[in-house]
Amino acid sequence: QDRTISGKVVDQATGQGLPGVTVIVKDKGTIGTSTNAEGVYALPVPAGTTTLVFSFVGYATQEAAVTSANTVNISLATDAKQLNEVVVTALGVERTRNSLAYSATQVTGTDITVARNPNAINGLSGKVAGLSIQQSNTLGGSSNVVIRGTKSITGNNQALFVVDGVPISNLNTNSAGQQSGQSGYDYGNAAADINPDDIASTTVLKGAAATALYGSRAANGVILITTKKGRKNGMGVTINSGVTLGRIDKSTFIKYQKQYGGGYGRYYGPTNPYFNDSPTGELVAPTSEDASYGAPFDPNLLVRQWYSYTPGDPNFGQATPWTAGANDPSTFFQTAASTLNTIVVDGGSDNGTFKLGYNNNIDRGVLPNSKITKNTLNFAGSLNLNPKLTLSTNINFTRVDGLGRYGTGYGSENIMTNFRQWWETNLDVSQLKDAYFRNNTNATWNFASPENGDLSAIYWNNPYFVRYQNYENDTRYRTFGNVMANYKVLKGLEIVGRLTVDSYDEFQEERSAVGSTQASYVPYYSRYNHTYREFNYDLFANFNKSLGTNFTLQGVVGTNLRRQYDNSLFATTNGGLVVPGLYSLANSANSINAPSEGVTQVGVDGFFASATLGFRDRIFLDLTSRVDRSTTLPVNSNTYYYPSAALGYVFSEDLHDAAPWLSYGKVRANYAEVGNDAPALSVFDTYRKPAVFGSTPLFALPTTKNNPDLKSERTRSFEAGVETAYLDNRLGLEATIYQQSTINQILPVSVSAATGYISRYVNSGEVRNRGLELSAFVVPVKTGDVNWRLSANWSRNENTVRSLYQGVDNIILASYQGGITSNATVNEAYGTLRGTNFVYLDGQRVVGANGYYQMTDANQEIGNPTPRWRGGITNTVSYKSISLNFLVDIKSGGSVFSLDRYYGLATGLQPETAGSNDLGNPSRTPVADGGGVILAGVQADGSANTVRVSNSNYGLYGYLRNPAAAFVYDASYVKLREVALTIGLPKSLLAKTPFLKGADFSIIGRNLWIIHKNLPDADPEDVASSGNIGQGYQGGAYPAVRTVGANLRLRF
Amino acid sequence: CVNSLTDYNVSPKQATVVPGVTLVSAAQLGLARAMVSPNVNTNIFELIVQYWAETTYFDESIYNIDSRPIPRNFWRLLFLGNGSSDPTVAPGVLLNLTQAKTVITADNTLDAAVKANQLACIEVLSVYAWTVLVDTYGNVPYTEALDFNKPQPKYDDAATIYTDLFARLNAAITSMKSGSAGLGSADLVYGGNMTSWIKFANSLKLRMAITTADANAAQAKTQAEQAAPNVFAANGDQANFVFQAAPPNANPLWENLVQSGRKDFVGTDFFINQLETLQDPRLPKYFQVAAAGMAPGTYIGGVYGTNNNASSFSQPGVALQDPTLPAVLESYSEVEFLLAEAAARGFSVGGTVTTHYNAAITASIQQWGGSAADAATYLAQPGVAYATAAGTTYKQKIGVQKWISEYIQPVQAWTDWRRLDSPTLTAPAGALSGIPVRLRYPTEESNLNGTNYAAAATAIGGDKVETKVFWDKF
Repeated sequence: QDRTISGKVVDQATGQGLPGVTVIVKDKGTIGTSTNAEGVYALPVPAGTTTLVFSFVGYATQEAAVTSANTVNISLATDAKQLNEVVVTALGVERTRNSLAYSATQVTGTDITVARNPNAINGLSGKVAGLSIQQSNTLGGSSNVVIRGTKSITGNNQALFVVDGVPISNLNTNSAGQQSGQSGYDYGNAAADINPDDIASTTVLKGAAATALYGSRAANGVILITTKKGRKNGMGVTINSGVTLGRIDKSTFIKYQKQYGGGYGRYYGPTNPYFNDSPTGELVAPTSEDASYGAPFDPNLLVRQWYSYTPGDPNFGQATPWTAGANDPSTFFQTAASTLNTIVVDGGSDNGTFKLGYNNNIDRGVLPNSKITKNTLNFAGSLNLNPKLTLSTNINFTRVDGLGRYGTGYGSENIMTNFRQWWETNLDVSQLKDAYFRNNTNATWNFASPENGDLSAIYWNNPYFVRYQNYENDTRYRTFGNVMANYKVLKGLEIVGRLTVDSYDEFQEERSAVGSTQASYVPYYSRYNHTYREFNYDLFANFNKSLGTNFTLQGVVGTNLRRQYDNSLFATTNGGLVVPGLYSLANSANSINAPSEGVTQVGVDGFFASATLGFRDRIFLDLTSRVDRSTTLPVNSNTYYYPSAALGYVFSEDLHDAAPWLSYGKVRANYAEVGNDAPALSVFDTYRKPAVFGSTPLFALPTTKNNPDLKSERTRSFEAGVETAYLDNRLGLEATIYQQSTINQILPVSVSAATGYISRYVNSGEVRNRGLELSAFVVPVKTGDVNWRLSANWSRNENTVRSLYQGVDNIILASYQGGITSNATVNEAYGTLRGTNFVYLDGQRVVGANGYYQMTDANQEIGNPTPRWRGGITNTVSYKSISLNFLVDIKSGGSVFSLDRYYGLATGLQPETAGSNDLGNPSRTPVADGGGVILAGVQADGSANTVRVSNSNYGLYGYLRNPAAAFVYDASYVKLREVALTIGLPKSLLAKTPFLKGADFSIIGRNLWIIHKNLPDADPEDVASSGNIGQGYQGGAYPAVRTVGANLRLRF
Repeated sequence: CVNSLTDYNVSPKQATVVPGVTLVSAAQLGLARAMVSPNVNTNIFELIVQYWAETTYFDESIYNIDSRPIPRNFWRLLFLGNGSSDPTVAPGVLLNLTQAKTVITADNTLDAAVKANQLACIEVLSVYAWTVLVDTYGNVPYTEALDFNKPQPKYDDAATIYTDLFARLNAAITSMKSGSAGLGSADLVYGGNMTSWIKFANSLKLRMAITTADANAAQAKTQAEQAAPNVFAANGDQANFVFQAAPPNANPLWENLVQSGRKDFVGTDFFINQLETLQDPRLPKYFQVAAAGMAPGTYIGGVYGTNNNASSFSQPGVALQDPTLPAVLESYSEVEFLLAEAAARGFSVGGTVTTHYNAAITASIQQWGGSAADAATYLAQPGVAYATAAGTTYKQKIGVQKWISEYIQPVQAWTDWRRLDSPTLTAPAGALSGIPVRLRYPTEESNLNGTNYAAAATAIGGDKVETKVFWDKF
């Protein structure tokens, strides 16, 4: 019968109790516990238990024989084999680091949550070589998570998240238009629903060999998240409570010139060319315009400005001095505030464990009226029905309520478009605030024609009206989790049955209030209902067997049935709203068009097997095979197999004597293939249904031609690496090289529109990624009280489009405002930007006879968003229970096109548009009066340009007179991403508080300092959405937010 | 196990089989929108022929056609429409017509004469769309176009395409039977009236003949003389596509001028001065009086190719703000101008240059709500009367009046201006090129269909906006 063995685990050097040490019954990996804060454990063990295994990161794993005594105390030594920790791998199988022949980077939950990032995904940024995380600066925005480069030309490239066996998609529901910079909202990605405080550890599986068992969806790598489990003995309560505050980083926001006010130039009224004339002969500011090429500021010049037409304004009806706005748009941002509170109760007995957690996170952004509330309830429990059968479950319920997510892209709902591209510098944000709050109406500055009595908003609304009236709101209810049964058939053989569910219901409402500008769209209300269900039925057997004294065999055989159901309905009003403020479909001004319905179902049946053959715990051979049958492929070619093989050798095992300075050494190599199916509904053709014309029905063909002859696509991956540690683990180095090619890609390849289609599904194209990943650590100081650890990672991924389709050497991935396209070009990196460029002669820009730059056609390569390398440096210094941690996150190279500067420089917002010319005169003065600018460059004959061109009207520095290439910038950055100072309550104090087992207080900061960047006025990292398209393109970008906060964690 | 392999792979929410005529309705809508839209993303010909100037953002007026990109968008509209899955986005033209032809041909339940009429109507619309493509770009993919098995279609010689279009149109005319039904209520132009379709087909044939007359006089003479007896004879005959009052099926003019709340366009001083000089009765329909600014209550045009203050100048007329305003695919007035020109070229089409010229102007004035008396007064002016109107050639005289009358038919107005070279337009200062006499090929053609694109560019004399299409001899 079971009995309970208890004891205390201490550090051999200090004699202090070690918390968190894993204690398991040898050869029965599922029977185990971990030590509490004092290092004490209690573990019920089955009869016949002979040995316990104690393991902890940084310490040598030790075994202790179980005798008749019920107490086993042990002291652990820091040790050579520190890296031989237990790593959670595919399907949740725990393996020793020795036995892994592929790259798997483990990050502890603490490392992810150290800076209290409410989005767990972002907490990984800069911490793992080869993992690229690009964060958005919008509240709750999506993060682009790509491991080892873009593989699929048009398919999903996001890493797959697997939480305790539950696959969680990182896809977003953002529209294609939103992603390519059109007006919309970034609704974030669903993987952000994972509660960061619930994460015990994260393993990043990068290569195909590591993920082959997961099947197709894991071809982009897997981020495997293991959540915390309940403790085995007793009960505990942990409370974690934090608050953070954020302000925009002004280095990522536009700076304005303060010399000239609103207007496009000198062409308005007869009295003064910068102003219109009112019927009573006053000067009227050109409020219908949205540029700052107007009159020079002059406090003695009295002008009717927008607010003089706004009833209730103190200056109503008055002409006022023409001066720069006292409060520029940087004052529009408020202080972001976020609270993150978690309480976890856990406990257990001999028969099982449980954990119940609740997390509440409220995020208020830097824009007014923005708030995201996230509530998570989590339950995990396990029950040992009998010595052989264990039932367990882990269920998460989350509810996310979004209100006023930031508008993105190009349009009136994204105020950044207004502030960065189309602004008048005479405007004062505080006056706009007063004007809005006077009656909560659209008291815009952008009247169509106030001098003629037309006070409608022509292009832009009052920014406060946008935030408080044209807001979106959304709700997502989500349930994910699993129910699992483990049955130990006999020693070394266990059968696992598992049902996983990921199910969410989303509801998104968007609106534009009556009174808004109609330039982007007429007032509307739209709703989007989306349900997603995914079920995975897993049944597999784990076996583990010693073959004689030298060999071990570990393996998995199983099946995975996946079913996905996606159901959506989108409906919107038509042609306006009848009753202001009523947001319902029935309030549509015209009959609404049929809502669009989307239903897709995907089923994949997979069968897999893997075997790991070990030789004397130092050489391991790993073989896997999987076959999938997918409904998304044509029936006759819907089945595909793929294998992997990996070999690893822990050479330090054989060099103990020869090289005592070598603490650890392993070489590994692997090859893997992963098959992939097609996107749903890409086989058979269907018609699309345009809105009915009166009573006449219309049907039309879609612009993508499907293909009934599709076959599965395939990724081939090779990886080799070496892991070493030296000098008693004071120094470590790991290096991995890899090459991964995705061939026979299933892609809607662009075809000449003369074929009648824009794209056609084919199997074609190859993208290759190869690269080098390095990570290293050094522990310069390691004494009893003071520890200093410095770790760094560096990765370079070289991405090449190797082939496309039937002689096509370039396909357009997306087209953006500004005539810019993202392209996949043969022999180039994925996603290169094309647009117009300067014409060069001997390296000099050629200027036409008219003095303006000559431009090429729009098909020139002008940028490449792929970075040269990425890196991260983590520094941890601790003294007793105080530790200081910071992370520097680096991206080098890659380019970004700025639509903000493309337009903003044209409309005269930045100081460089209002400088002096070569004669020392203001360049905005008419050329005839000594103003104007001689553009740097040469005439077609090679002689220096001497033509002075006008800078009196809009356009000279912006898009009108410069090619797109002029607005492509280097997107490198060096960021101080995270800083955390944690102070633990000393044990002497803890001892005096009978209930408190631990307490620590931390002060944290995120994105405090962009140490280096080359993109003016913006954060080079900001993108509108996660996904393939939109990378390297910025329009209406949000400033970065510097966040500081404090957190208190109490354990009882 | 997966046991519903095909069920999962077929959308339960989208049709796999549809009535062929619904595709024709969609193509008609797509064609009408493409022809009449003033949207700067697709159709900028109101600007190119200098009817309108832009107010704040004058990019297109100085021929910046790449940043939108207009050549791609216009090309796509005619071939396949916008790529959007949005149900409110207009469908494309040629692909849907081709599919309609396939579906209707395969329909064994259809009466033979009705089927022949339906196919003939489809053919007329197809020929119309092809002429717009050829007139806009020159050589285009034709014989290998609209076939997804040929992802890189070769370009055909523009003149050769025209010859084939004549043959197709003639075959369609021959097969049309006025006594049988056609597309029925699916026909958003003529409501299934085949008599009207026969007139439209002949009027289109006449347009094609005169368009190519400078390039192939003999062919033009034959075709024009064949067509002339059966062309439009009254405004009631003309090919109008009538839009709906409510979006998304309202006239794109309304969308851009009214719904958007924008004030992007004002009349050019060049056009408005011309209308004022000739005391044109259409002026109050074409434009509004200037709201304020320099001389309130009068018609004042803006300067083409630079900034104009919207409130200082005359904006497009109230008549253009009617959401149900028809798109004119071909007008009776245009047909009379074509006949006038045919007569001037010595083709036997009946009547004289002057009678047709007068009929054309009268038809246009009446179309815009003027009376016969208004027209007579207008025609009586020496500056209008054919004999005394400015100009020394029939092209100059007809050109100016045709330009005035084709105000909301921007595509045809551009074609006629290029061919007649009248009135004389000048490019604005700071223009990025000369006045476009064609659109460049879409950038994506050079990417996706490079070899054929390069051959076509060479064949036409360079892929530039200044390269003339084959019929543009002068």
